[in-house]
Amino acid sequence: MDKINILIIEDTSEDALELKELLEDNNYHVVAIASTYQEALTLFYQLPIDLIIIDVFLNGNPDGITFAETISITPNILKPFVFLTSSKDRQIFERAKLTKPFSFLLKPFNELEVLYAIEMAVEKFHGQLNVFSSEDKDTVVSQEYLFIKKKNALKKVELSSIMYIEVDDRYCHIVTEKEKFIIQISLGKINDVLNNQIFIRTHRKYIVNSNAIEQIVLADNLLLLKGNHKVTFSGKYKDLIKSFHVLK
Amino acid sequence: MPFIKTFLFIICFGLSFQIQLQIKEERNTTASDVLIEVDSSKAEQFFIEKNWDSTIVYTAKVLTIAKKQNVLDRFHYIRGFSFMKKRLYDEAENEYSHVSKDFSSYYRIIRNLGGIALEQNKYKEAICYFESLRDYPNYKLIKSSVLHDLGLSYFHLAKFKAAEKYLLESNTLQEKEQDTSLLIGSYTDIANLYYEQYKDDLAIPYFEKAYQLSKKIKSFKLKRKTSLNMAVVEENRKDLKKALVYRKEYEKWKDSLNDQSKVWAIAQIEKRHAVDQKQKHIKILKSENEIKVIQRNGFIFSSVILLLFLSAGIYFYDQKNKNNKIILAQKEELDGLNATKDKLFSIISHDLRSSVNVLQKGNTKLLKDIDKQNYTAVKKTVLKNSSIANSTYNLLENLLQWATIQTHKLYFAIESIDLYTVLQQLEYNYKPLFENKSLIFENKIPKAVFVLADLDSLKIIIRNLLDNAIKFSEENDTISIYTYAKNDKQYLVIEDTGIGMSQETKEALLKEGTHLNKKKDQKGIGTGLGIQLCKSMIKKNKGELLIESKEGIGTKMIITLPKSQQYG
Repeated sequence: MDKINILIIEDTSEDALELKELLEDNNYHVVAIASTYQEALTLFYQLPIDLIIIDVFLNGNPDGITFAETISITPNILKPFVFLTSSKDRQIFERAKLTKPFSFLLKPFNELEVLYAIEMAVEKFHGQLNVFSSEDKDTVVSQEYLFIKKKNALKKVELSSIMYIEVDDRYCHIVTEKEKFIIQISLGKINDVLNNQIFIRTHRKYIVNSNAIEQIVLADNLLLLKGNHKVTFSGKYKDLIKSFHVLK
Repeated sequence: MPFIKTFLFIICFGLSFQIQLQIKEERNTTASDVLIEVDSSKAEQFFIEKNWDSTIVYTAKVLTIAKKQNVLDRFHYIRGFSFMKKRLYDEAENEYSHVSKDFSSYYRIIRNLGGIALEQNKYKEAICYFESLRDYPNYKLIKSSVLHDLGLSYFHLAKFKAAEKYLLESNTLQEKEQDTSLLIGSYTDIANLYYEQYKDDLAIPYFEKAYQLSKKIKSFKLKRKTSLNMAVVEENRKDLKKALVYRKEYEKWKDSLNDQSKVWAIAQIEKRHAVDQKQKHIKILKSENEIKVIQRNGFIFSSVILLLFLSAGIYFYDQKNKNNKIILAQKEELDGLNATKDKLFSIISHDLRSSVNVLQKGNTKLLKDIDKQNYTAVKKTVLKNSSIANSTYNLLENLLQWATIQTHKLYFAIESIDLYTVLQQLEYNYKPLFENKSLIFENKIPKAVFVLADLDSLKIIIRNLLDNAIKFSEENDTISIYTYAKNDKQYLVIEDTGIGMSQETKEALLKEGTHLNKKKDQKGIGTGLGIQLCKSMIKKNKGELLIESKEGIGTKMIITLPKSQQYG
């Protein structure tokens, strides 16, 4: 599990540092702090960023909104973002609202509010609402990552690093090359969101990353994966394996 | 002799009536051509009216179009008759010559031709015509007049015997017919006949007969002639006295005749004059009428304009009144709002001043305590100061929100919100306050309870209610928050075991309006602004505020909010 990389766009350095401290206390990784629109854009393109916290007003101008607009209209680069603002002025909000998905954080804020705003931004961005606030779910699935809520903060897991997923009732055991952990998500949902070309259902209980398969032992209905992981596959899903072989 | 001609015309008049009847009959059978119809009917109309000139004109038209023999015959006859009346005898003869012998009244044509010949002193020719009439079947109808004319013809030819014979014969027939005027003529002619032959004895009785008969009729002409004849007779008999009487009578009739003509002429002039007068009068009346019409139109026009002005005036007056009312209402509303605002300002500035004053004093005390190194006192003062700072901040926050709401500048976005998370976030800020006042806080809200609300306004609402709960609680009181669902609505309850409130206070709080109040016995700062803000924000969130409270036992502030449909 990796920390989430956050870019802070804030012209008041005190506020920025305070926010940075708060985020790092909660196991987020603040990649950089930008104080102008141009700087923000440069940093955004240079660094690997998962989420942006944007102050609406930069040096008295609503450049924060301009930044959000810029990354919104450029295809394939948009990331979840949270607006920071000290007033609920409607005019500004009407403009900010046009940059979707839209979430904001009203100053002054406390720790919990910041964390909640980040979670909301991720949920909205991936169109999976009310996940982190519910009792039986803690994971949002994107094209590249799983965003998992651990304690108060979000973590991410790269999908390609997952070797296989073992489903157990409402829980999923995620096994990566390095670690093993449990997330709360229904099998149906994870199956819907994952790329079916790469993640293949092999068993009522298993979803396997086809890139991780090293050997298939048909006699034992066994799959040997990287790192000496073994996964069984049932007769019901044999055809799928065969077609997969043919393709390979 | 003039009276002979007169008789001829009288006969002709009589005949014309019969002709008209015949024409009417024939028209039914022959008038088929539509083109002729109009002209022929006109010609006949004029013929009946004895308007000979017009008759001649229209008969000419009819004759150019008409082709049927019987139509041609009829209109040639009418035309000839008209010419005859106009004494254009040659033309008349010409027209009569065009009539075929099959024409039903052909015998009349011959008789008329005879008449014309007689009129033109062609007596022999006339006799020929009259003689030839004897062979016609309808001869009886005109026998007396024909015989008379025949007699006249012979008379003019000085063939007195023949004349006497015919005249007497005619006379006997006319006596039977009993036409007085004809009879007078007949008697006169016979008398003349005898008189011409100097058979005075025979002539005089006829003259007398004629004279006697003339007394019975009204015609002055006949009276005059008969009396003149009698005068001449008496004169010749040398009975001058009688002659003079008859002469006088003659003069009288002549005068009467003249008088009649004069009276007639005067009447004509008078009539014309009267007509002129009437015409003038009519003209005057017409112009008067025109003036009246113009006046009336002017009146209508001006009254319409006046009416328009009046209604426009009324309309504008009404509008003005309405506007005034609206303005008045707005003024009252504005005055009310202004008063509220003024009160708010005074309360807030007073509160702010006292809070800041307390902070200043606290700071001075802090410095002293630090100098004395009395750290327990320092901690106490800092806690007190932070509590004051917190409530002052809340006041300012409320003020700001209130201003935003009043100026309709608040951004408002209703979304699905998890109550648990919201309460967690709020609790985070309130923990020190609860601890400071030794209050027990219980958040009994389960995870994943979703409502539809605007997040920030919901936070402001709950914050205000929590502030109030803390303010009206004593040490070791409990503040608890819990929720339940009922009828598609989520109820959020903030309950405290504080001092509670009276029924009046509760009602005053829930009352509509932006009335602000500060209770005299109230400690610390407070304007009622917080609760007003809560009410308007709850309303904006389509929720309701309920209060359950008992003095000394505690208060339940209950918010209802719409439940979110997307449950997880």
